[in-house]
Amino acid sequence: MGAALSASAQDDEALAYYRQAKIDWRQAAGQSLTIGLNKHPFTESLLPLIPEFRRLTGINVEYLILPEAEYFTKLVADLSQQRGEFSVIMTGPVRNWQYVPPNWILPLDDFLNNPKLTDQSWFKLDDFYPALIAANRWNGKTGGGVGEGPLYSIPVLEESYILAYRKDIFDQYNIKVPTTNEEMVEAARLVKKNAGIPGIVARGTPSVASMGTGFMSGLKSATDGQWSEFDDKLNANFHDPRSVKFTEMWIGMVRESGPPNWANMQWYDAMEAFTAGQAGMIVDADFFAANYEDPKKSKVAGKVGYALIPAGPGGKPYAGLWTWALGISKATKNKEAAWLFVEWATAQRTLLNATLGYRNYNPARASIMDDPRVQEIMGAWGGGSYLKTVAKNLETARVAWIPQPERTRLGDIWARSLHEIYFQRMPAADALKKASNEVDKVLKEAGIK
Amino acid sequence: MSTPRTRHWRREKALPYLLLAPALVLLAGMIYPFGLGLYYSFTSYWLQYPNRFRFVWFDNYVDLMSEPLFARALEFTLGFTLAAVVVQVGLGLAVALFLHGRIPGRSVIRALMLLPLMIPPVITALMWKIMMASTNAGILNYMLSFVGVDPVNWFGSTQGAVASVLIIDTWGNLPFVALILLGGLQALPTEPYEAARVDGAGPAAILRYVTLPLLSPFLVLVVLFRTMDSLRIFDVIYATTQGGPNDATTNLHIMAYQYSFQWYQMGKGMAQAIVLLLLVVIVSYLLMRLWNRASESTS
Repeated sequence: MGAALSASAQDDEALAYYRQAKIDWRQAAGQSLTIGLNKHPFTESLLPLIPEFRRLTGINVEYLILPEAEYFTKLVADLSQQRGEFSVIMTGPVRNWQYVPPNWILPLDDFLNNPKLTDQSWFKLDDFYPALIAANRWNGKTGGGVGEGPLYSIPVLEESYILAYRKDIFDQYNIKVPTTNEEMVEAARLVKKNAGIPGIVARGTPSVASMGTGFMSGLKSATDGQWSEFDDKLNANFHDPRSVKFTEMWIGMVRESGPPNWANMQWYDAMEAFTAGQAGMIVDADFFAANYEDPKKSKVAGKVGYALIPAGPGGKPYAGLWTWALGISKATKNKEAAWLFVEWATAQRTLLNATLGYRNYNPARASIMDDPRVQEIMGAWGGGSYLKTVAKNLETARVAWIPQPERTRLGDIWARSLHEIYFQRMPAADALKKASNEVDKVLKEAGIK
Repeated sequence: MSTPRTRHWRREKALPYLLLAPALVLLAGMIYPFGLGLYYSFTSYWLQYPNRFRFVWFDNYVDLMSEPLFARALEFTLGFTLAAVVVQVGLGLAVALFLHGRIPGRSVIRALMLLPLMIPPVITALMWKIMMASTNAGILNYMLSFVGVDPVNWFGSTQGAVASVLIIDTWGNLPFVALILLGGLQALPTEPYEAARVDGAGPAAILRYVTLPLLSPFLVLVVLFRTMDSLRIFDVIYATTQGGPNDATTNLHIMAYQYSFQWYQMGKGMAQAIVLLLLVVIVSYLLMRLWNRASESTS
C-alpha cells in the first residue's frame, strides 16, 4: 500500500504530529461519536486510523459505512428526524442544499474561529484549494449564493471533469485532439471507423448521477458558463436553444459512435470500458486517471492523453466541481467532539495518508498535490498532461448546479428526457420542454416556487 | 376452586391461543407499519420538508392517475406478469412432463434444478447482467453467435431490457414451477390413465383430457404464486436496469421505490404501494376462487 501508515508502527510519530496543534485534544474525552460514511477510498483510509484518534482524544468512535445510494437514504432519514444518530457525516456541496434549509447541519465557521478548538496556523484552511472551500459555502438562498455564507463542510477530495483520450489511436490515425464539440463528434466518428471501438463512452443511466459530470460540464463549457438549468425567475431552462443544440449533438454522438449499452452505463461501467481499451474518449471525472494509468488493471496505461473539455466561443471550459466533504449534524449532542474528529480527519497528515496509501484522489490540499511523492505518481500520468490539465481546469471549474433542495429530482427528470431523445420517442426540443414543465411542477408542489 | 380437572380443562381451552400467540404478535408487528403506511398515503409527506406535512385525503391517488409514468408502469406490470406466467407455467409444465417419464439421470436433473431456487434473486440478476454484456464480449451473445444470431443489446435497448428481465426471472423461478407440477403429476391417480388407454386414446388426447384436468389445482396454484410474485417483482429489475432504459422496465413497485427513496416523497410512494397492493389482492382473490373450484372438481 505504498506509504500507508499502520496503526502500530508509526503511532507515536503520528500522535506527535497532531499534538503540534495548540489545542487540548482531550477536551471531549469520554464522549462518543457515530460517523456516517459512504463507501469510498477516503473512508477506507480512515478506518485503520480510528484507534489512533481514540488514543489522541479519548473519544469513542463508532461508524457505519454504506454504499452511496443506501447511505444517503439513511442519512436523510436520520437528519429529517434530528435523532442525532450520526454526528459527523459525509456530504458535499449539492447535498448540503437539501440539509441547510431545514436546519439539519451546523455551520463550521464558529468551530474554525474558536482558538480552543482549532489551531488555525496548524490546520491551515488556506492550504485547501479556494474553489473547493467556496464550493462548500452557501448563504442558504435558493437560486444562488454558492461561495458565500457559512462553511458547511470541509472538503476531503476534489473531482472535476476533463477529457481523456487514447493518444495511441489519435496518433495512429492522425485524429486531432478536439477543442470544440464539432471536433469531438468527428473524432468519435473517426475512432469508431478506424479502430473499430466506440469513439466515446459516457454515463447513460436515467438518473441525476449521469448528468452532472461530462454532460453538464460540456453544456456549460459550450455556453461559456452562461447557461443554467434555471432562468433568473427560477423557471426550468432545459428547452433553451443552446441546451437543445448541445443535447442533439451529444445524443447524436453517443448514438452514432458510442457503445450499444449507453443507456445502462453507470460511472464505473464507463470508466471500466475506457480502462479496458473499449473506447476512444471519455469526458468524466479527472481522477479516473488513477485507474487508466494502473498497469496492473488497465489495458491503456501509458496510452492516455488528457485535455480540457471542448470550450465555447470564449475559449475557456467551465467544468463542474464536486467535493466529498465532512460535516456535522445539528442534532449531535457532542458538538466539540464532532469537530475534533473533522479537524483530525481533514488534517494534512490524515489526508496525505489517504492519497498515498488509499488512492484518495484528487487531493483537496495544495500541499498534498505538491508533495513529491504525489507528484511522482500523478506527474507520470499522460506524460505530464494530466497534472497540467487538472491545474488549468481548476482555474474555472465551479459547482455546476443551482442551489435548490430538489436537485436530485430535477436531475432525474432531465436524464429521462435524454432517454426519450436517444430512443427517438421525441425530438430534443419537445423532450426538453416537457422536462422543464415537469420540473416547474415539482418545484411548485414542493413549495419552492 | 381449582381442581386438577379444571386446570386441565382451562389449559386445553388456552392451548389454541398460546399456539397462535407468536403468529399474532408477528401480525400485530406488521399491522402497525402497514397502518402507518396507509395513513401516510393520505398525506403530503416529503422527508426534507417536515413542516409541510399535512393530510391531503385522496390527492396522492388522484395525482397518480394523471401521472403519465403511472399508465406505463401499470401496463408493464400487467404485461410482464402475463408474459412471465405464460412462459414459466408453460415451460414448467413441459419440464415436469419430461421429468415424469422414465428418463435416465432424472434424479440428478431434479437435484440440479434446485440450484437456481437457492440463489438469492439479486445474485442471479447480477450474474446474468455480466453474462448479458451487449457486445460479443458477453457470454450469452458469444454463444448465440454460434447459431448465427447477431449480438443482442440486452440492457441498452428497451426491448432487450424487457426480454432480459423476463429471462432472468424465468431462470430463477422455472424450477419452482416444474417441481410443484412434477409433484402433482406423481400424485395423480392411475385409473383414469388405464381407462383412457383401454379406450385407445393417444398421448396428446391423454394430456388434454386426463392429465391437465386432473392437474388443474396444481396449475392454478403455480399460476397464483407466479402471478403474485410477478406483479411485485423488484429485485431483478433494480439490480439490472433500475426501471430503465427509458422507463421500459418500470413497474409499480419500482415507481413506488423511486418516489419514496430517491425523491423522498413518502406520501406519494405509499399511495403507489397501496395501489399495487390492491392490484395483487384483487388478482389473488380471483385466482384463489379459481383454485377452490379446481380443487373441488377433481376430488
